[in-house]
Amino acid sequence: MTAAISLTGVGRRYGSRGAHHALAGVTVEIHSPSIVGLLGRNGAGKTTLLRVLAGQDFATSGRVSIFGAAPAENDAVLRRMVLIREDQTYPDLKVRHALAAASMFYPSWDAELAATLLDAYELPAGRAIKKLSRGMRTAMGIVIGLAARAEMTLFDEPVAGLDAVVRDMFYEHLLADYTAHPRCILLSTHLIDEVADLLERILILDRGRLVLDALADDLRGNAATVTGPTGSVERFIADRTTLSCRTLGSRTTAVMAGRLDDRDHELAELLHLDIGHLTLQQLAMRAADSDARTALTSVGAA
Amino acid sequence: MRTTPVLTVARYLLLDRVTYLVLPWAWSAFAFGLDVAIIELTPHGDGGDHWTGGLTAAFVVVFVLGVQAVARALPFGLALGVSRRTYFLGAAALAAALAICFGAVVAAGQAIERATGGWGIRMAYFRVTDVLDGAWWQSWLTASTAFLALFAYGMWYGLVHRRNGLPGTAVFAAAQGAVLALLAAIVTWAHDWSRIGHFLAADATDAIPAVLAGLAVLLLAGGLAAVRRLAV
Repeated sequence: MTAAISLTGVGRRYGSRGAHHALAGVTVEIHSPSIVGLLGRNGAGKTTLLRVLAGQDFATSGRVSIFGAAPAENDAVLRRMVLIREDQTYPDLKVRHALAAASMFYPSWDAELAATLLDAYELPAGRAIKKLSRGMRTAMGIVIGLAARAEMTLFDEPVAGLDAVVRDMFYEHLLADYTAHPRCILLSTHLIDEVADLLERILILDRGRLVLDALADDLRGNAATVTGPTGSVERFIADRTTLSCRTLGSRTTAVMAGRLDDRDHELAELLHLDIGHLTLQQLAMRAADSDARTALTSVGAA
Repeated sequence: MRTTPVLTVARYLLLDRVTYLVLPWAWSAFAFGLDVAIIELTPHGDGGDHWTGGLTAAFVVVFVLGVQAVARALPFGLALGVSRRTYFLGAAALAAALAICFGAVVAAGQAIERATGGWGIRMAYFRVTDVLDGAWWQSWLTASTAFLALFAYGMWYGLVHRRNGLPGTAVFAAAQGAVLALLAAIVTWAHDWSRIGHFLAADATDAIPAVLAGLAVLLLAGGLAAVRRLAV
């Protein structure tokens, strides 16, 4: 089956001499349907990658294939995609005009869903886009992204500027719509733990490089923290892959790669150690480190 | 009803009907009122026509429409799954349709102007001496090609602005200013101003539509090539 997204050694350089590598050697395949999280710090290359996928920017090296063809200037591919960007430039239109524009371009446009979401996010259809708050503009992007029902939906920071209540609504709407109409959804975000339960697969970019590509289920519980008296912690972590270790006075906290079984928990209880699991956010932060990445992915694969 | 992608782009741009259809003529009407007021308030001369140049307002707005069609409307169009090529062709198709209609407005305005003795005050609002002063079809052709060329020229400014920002746009404008100044210097040096004057007086009405049409085609063809490498 042809992958929905196939990237081979994709790079994007900026600057007069191509000194800045926004993307470097990104190789990945994503099949549809799936919800994939594109995670990483500011400047990691998330937006650039989404723009390259949507044909809005051009890779300077490598090969980009969407539904089996290069997306750049390819109407047949592009009409199956929508990219909702946090920094989207809009013309001088009203909200209802923006929705009308989207309905013209997408044959699967769901006007009923758009109206429902418009109400849910309390968006004034008659207001000019330039007069919307940042959160309202973001919400309008969400309405377009979901109601378009494009086979490939790309969201770049879709919850930026939204309050917690509206963010929750978005996650609910996204999941409900994806369940009813499975498709390929790729979303970039900083709020990793908030979307963790939605994601089937996680890609982490760091300085333009894809540093982690794993199924979310494999990553969950794939690393743990152990805290307690230094001697006990040292005994517990002996012969295990340790990602980090920090001692404060007589107590030490260590982060270990790998899953813990019942015997591990019994031993921890015996040694009076506290066991905790790393969140996806914490895992993502550590994924930039090559040793930690190797440990996380190799244990996850096993 | 589903239309071809090029026509869909034109429909997308026309969602902002006020800007594309009303604004050029609202500004033109404002300039018309201003010209009438000025003619009424200034002493009457020797009985000749009062040439105003107020119609320029409509042409300037069409230039601005071209700028914003690329600088502001293009990125959202691309976000909605349109290729640059399709978008540019759609915008150019809309520009051509608008130019034909707006040219007809100018020709009709000119006919009324002639029939009413310059709106009763000998005002030449829809006429420009030696340039837009021929038969109705010549005026229609000249105005239409001028509208199209200005829209295309505006799209170029939009392209440069999206690619190089305000500094790039300023350099772009300054470079054209420098070229024009150089041409003026060459014409002055060659003592050719009188020949240009003779050309405008004798042949301009026939030649200008062809020159403007050629310019519009060049601008659109160049713009299409440039937009295809534009990152947004």
